[in-house]
Amino acid sequence: MHETALFQLSTSTTILLLAGFYLATFLMSLIIGKRHENVDGYMVSNNAIGFGLSAASMIATWIWAASFYASASAGYKFGISGPIHYGLWGALMILFIYPFGMRFRKLAPKAHTLAEIMYARHGKSSQMILAISNIIGSCISLMVNFTAAGALVSVLSPLSFIQGVLIAGVGVLSYTIWSGFRASVLTDFAQLIAMIIAAVVIIPLIFFNLGGPDMLAANMPNLSLAQSDFFSTEAFLQQGAPYLVAVLAYAIGNQTIAQRLFAVREDLIRPTFITATVGYGAIVIGLGMLGLLALFIGLKPLDGNMNNIIPQMASTYLPPFAIGLFFVLVIGSLSSTADADLCALSAIVMTDIYGKSLARGTPNPKRMLFWGRFTMVAATMLGVVFASLRLDILMMLVFVGALWGAIVFPVIMSFYWDRITNKAFTLAVGSAVAMFVVARFELLPMTGAIAVVFELFATVGVGVVAGLMAFGFFGKKVGAICGLLAAAAMLPYSIGFLRDYAVLLSALTSYGVSAIVCVTVSLRSNQRFDFDLLDERVVSFQRSTAALART
Amino acid sequence: MTVFGLTAYILVWPVLSAVVLLLLLAAFAKDVLDARKNGGDML
Repeated sequence: MHETALFQLSTSTTILLLAGFYLATFLMSLIIGKRHENVDGYMVSNNAIGFGLSAASMIATWIWAASFYASASAGYKFGISGPIHYGLWGALMILFIYPFGMRFRKLAPKAHTLAEIMYARHGKSSQMILAISNIIGSCISLMVNFTAAGALVSVLSPLSFIQGVLIAGVGVLSYTIWSGFRASVLTDFAQLIAMIIAAVVIIPLIFFNLGGPDMLAANMPNLSLAQSDFFSTEAFLQQGAPYLVAVLAYAIGNQTIAQRLFAVREDLIRPTFITATVGYGAIVIGLGMLGLLALFIGLKPLDGNMNNIIPQMASTYLPPFAIGLFFVLVIGSLSSTADADLCALSAIVMTDIYGKSLARGTPNPKRMLFWGRFTMVAATMLGVVFASLRLDILMMLVFVGALWGAIVFPVIMSFYWDRITNKAFTLAVGSAVAMFVVARFELLPMTGAIAVVFELFATVGVGVVAGLMAFGFFGKKVGAICGLLAAAAMLPYSIGFLRDYAVLLSALTSYGVSAIVCVTVSLRSNQRFDFDLLDERVVSFQRSTAALART
Repeated sequence: MTVFGLTAYILVWPVLSAVVLLLLLAAFAKDVLDARKNGGDML
């Protein structure tokens, strides 16, 4: 095993790369800037973005700084199947949301946020549950991306962590603040092209600099039996399964995906999201291979930190120009996600807080735009401050994961089943989060009858996840059959087994309890919702305000 | 997995990424042309 020191770019090269990157993106945003931005355009563009821009934007947004590091860590830890168990399930999050996205668009073509549709469908409490979960998710993402910028700059250059965080924060805000989502989509395209070129050059270059196939043949004994098994159970249970369970939760809980579903031309949703699935998978799994190569050569992560694997591989086996490319790759990935988070946060504040609450449904477009830009500035400042403090956000991540798991069934079924009520939605989410907390932190001893009850809820959760995934593509009948079969197949394995896997048990319990409560409470109501009302209630802000002014 | 299989497994991802890159560039060019033809904005 060997540990390598890291090559450092000079201060002038680092500043040149960062200034060049952010200046180029800023100049790009000027191309589409308008003196008077349209509030709807600021949030979802013209609802008719073409295939190239929208697919690129979806890929760039979904690839964040953590994608490379986590994928490489999975390759290093679990061997051959590791990167697949990170990248494939992440890619499927994009794939499995699009059938539901087509339904969202059909029912509310002028929507800006998913929470806005929940307001039209149910009312305030459902809207706020979804909006708050989206806000927390985007804030965490923003903070993690700024942290990654600080870490990259401090590892690969003489600049400090805080200088890196500040440069990224100011850089991203500068090109996003004026045109909002429109600037985000256009710059995403350029950032993704740079990222793909970097990945296409870096992966083969490192592979052949290491010795190529001869190195693989010579170092095969460095892999354990499990690491050399493409169908490793250990890799699936530890890396794949928790991620597979989260496929729908991450997609529903993320306003950045919803925004792109509302922005792309409606007939292009399917090709856009299928292409984004393939593109995301190829780039992230490809960069995960660097972790596998590190395992082959017996590289020891610097300071025992797995996040150093890719920088170490880059600085040891790449020429200086390619290290510059790697630098752009990481800065591009974190910037494209950070700008999407800023746009997501501003859209939620503009639509769900100002539009639906403060302005009581009659918003002033100019004031709305002010709130959007103010949100971006405030979110960037908070992101920079929290990133600089290097807070431990694990507990926050746990709770937001629970909230996202709890809302999946009520949100999706609210678009299909006319009996779901606001009360059912709210009670389902509340009880699911409560049960999640009990299971996750073992507030009750997970033994005997109590453990069996939770394992039964989790088994229902397996059925809900499988059923919803099949339902999106194949409809109600196939979804129900798949859900029942998955739950029945899982039952013998979950009783007496899942209690030892608190993370998996609690996540699945959240899905199961949420679905059971939502269905039970809904069946006790005789209300029927007319889905045609959604199109009447969810409208463009700029146009509806202009129409009101004329009357 | 053989050495050849493993080499292909490692290198297929950058190749697939390059294919996606070409597809996106072609689609972007079409978006630009369509926007010019229709006299509207791309975004």
